[in-house]
Amino acid sequence: MRAPALALMLMVMAGLAPAGARAAEGGSPRVAFFVNGALGDKSFFDSAARGLRQAEADLHLATRTIEGGYDPTRWESGLVDLADSGDFPIIVTGTYTMGPLVQKVAPDYPDVTFILFDGVVDYAHCACGNVYSMRFRQNEGGYLAGVLAAGLARAGTIPGAGEMVGLVGAMPIPVINDFAAGYGAGAQDAAPGITVLRQFANSFSDPATGKEIAEAQYGQGAGVIFQVAGATGQGVIEAAEETGRYVIGVDSDQAALYRASSPRRAARILTSVMKNVDAAILRALRLWQQGRLPLGRTESLGLKEGAIGLADNPEAALTVPPTVRAAVAAARQRIIDGTLTVPTAFAGGQP
Amino acid sequence: MSLDLIAAGTVAAVVAAATLRAATPIIFASLGGLVSELAGCINVALEGVMLVAAFAGVITSAYSALWFPDAPLWLHPWLGCAAGLLAGTALAGLLAVFHLELGADLIVAGIGLNILAQGLTVLLMAHLTGDKGSTASLTSFALPSLRWPGMGGVPVLGVLLNGDGNAGHNVLVYGALAATGWVAWALRHTVFGLRLRAAGENAEAALAAGLPVRRLRYAGLLLSGLLTSGGGVFLGMGYLTLFQADMAAGRGYLALAAVFLGGRRPLGTVAAALVFGGATVMAARLGLLAVPAEVVFMIPPLVTIAALVLVKQHQRLAARRRAAAGRAALLSS
Repeated sequence: MRAPALALMLMVMAGLAPAGARAAEGGSPRVAFFVNGALGDKSFFDSAARGLRQAEADLHLATRTIEGGYDPTRWESGLVDLADSGDFPIIVTGTYTMGPLVQKVAPDYPDVTFILFDGVVDYAHCACGNVYSMRFRQNEGGYLAGVLAAGLARAGTIPGAGEMVGLVGAMPIPVINDFAAGYGAGAQDAAPGITVLRQFANSFSDPATGKEIAEAQYGQGAGVIFQVAGATGQGVIEAAEETGRYVIGVDSDQAALYRASSPRRAARILTSVMKNVDAAILRALRLWQQGRLPLGRTESLGLKEGAIGLADNPEAALTVPPTVRAAVAAARQRIIDGTLTVPTAFAGGQP
Repeated sequence: MSLDLIAAGTVAAVVAAATLRAATPIIFASLGGLVSELAGCINVALEGVMLVAAFAGVITSAYSALWFPDAPLWLHPWLGCAAGLLAGTALAGLLAVFHLELGADLIVAGIGLNILAQGLTVLLMAHLTGDKGSTASLTSFALPSLRWPGMGGVPVLGVLLNGDGNAGHNVLVYGALAATGWVAWALRHTVFGLRLRAAGENAEAALAAGLPVRRLRYAGLLLSGLLTSGGGVFLGMGYLTLFQADMAAGRGYLALAAVFLGGRRPLGTVAAALVFGGATVMAARLGLLAVPAEVVFMIPPLVTIAALVLVKQHQRLAARRRAAAGRAALLSS
């Protein structure tokens, strides 16, 4: 993997070089984005990369994306290399897996600002005054997906499906369990007594297994599946197309991906639960530029802050009865008002 | 037949059809692994061959539609299939050159090619589509499915023959079955099969008998590449209709395990591949019964270990029985 990864990295850097050079002339600060994986997942990391690109355009920051690959043993050294280089006053990185690593590295580099999205450091147990963490209340998005899926399943308009909805997750990790906790609660509230199937693929990049699981759930009678499975979820979307059922995407607007290449597939994607990582990162960088970034603490972002939301998919929206759409809108309003608290998978009731 | 029996039969047929589907890529790759192993050249690069074949197939089918917009639609997937088979075979050919011409260690060269395939497919994909994850932005094509007509109403058999969606099985599922039969027959009943095995069993003796060992090993590795490519093409143009970085997801290594689990025999190898496919399907379906995910994840590796132990145990018992029979024969004489 090393040589090709290096080649890829060089290519990425070559692509970004002109921007970097321009920025160096203007002396604008450089932002490093460390990906603990690879871009191209059509959801989480790609969304973050969009945020960085936006920051480059709007805030005139020079950004550089470094893909650490899927080998976890290389992430810590990758992070240390970036912090140690002194080239980057800000390092952006994400996921709960990176939390402990940032916690370990950040105290050694007090001059570097770390922006940690979708992950937290334990401020009580580390001198992390240079770390800003953002966590997302993805359970709120999951809840809306549950209301939508269960409402549609109960409406009985999906041929061949029973009173059943499904969830395909990549791995039973806290963030995905949090989506699932919200999803289950939303489904039960919208259609009490409905069956919620749940299954994990044990991989973020095995669409074949994702498809196998989805076919099993659709075969069992699930009308809608919420996939929270990274690239594995593409198999779920294919299964939805083949069986004529529905799927809810995650993290990025997944219907938009297929609109040009496969409209039939796009029409099966009811909506996507958006984790607007891009907007959140842009906001954090803007705050940093203005000197108002609340370092040394964690901010929790959800529906209310616009960090979580549902994507519009006009092709599929027609199949959702108006009553179900109204129920989703009402649930959204109640969560924003604070009259509805969505259960979470995180200990202490908070992510 | 009572209703319960029909329901149970239908479930069994659904699982059997899914198992066949999940096992097809492993069957192809394990047959490929078997052929080269019998020729005396273990092919560790099965995983890489699958990836390259899947990639070339998906990309070619998508670009074929762009290049030849006037061509009939059925042409694109078959062009993709041909390109996939060719690309995978070429990668196996590279392994053959490294080993047979340049004297590289098979294991090291094989692993190297796997790593090359992993990186190269992503590099080319990023170059062609600007996307490093999958080819979702391209309209690629799947090979057709074959459907038995008039089976829609038949209870259990209809599901078994045409799948649970009644859309039929992909043509490559039948391809895997045909390849199994062909490999089993060719290895046993043709001059080429016999010579191939001779070159693998004892190269010096084969050379002394005037057999072109090097050419036979080339043939073994190239044939291995061709068969394995079938699995890769199925992954990208049958099982799924896209290429995803690293989509082989270890199936090539499972196939290699199947070769040895199956005692280096065609039917045993395919049976082992079916067991692996079945374990995946079982894992995918057990979630419906609220079995904890951790337990489900353990099934495929547990099945592998259990099967290995059982096979070894069986062989040891058989050996002991033979030895005992031999002693008895000695004593009685």
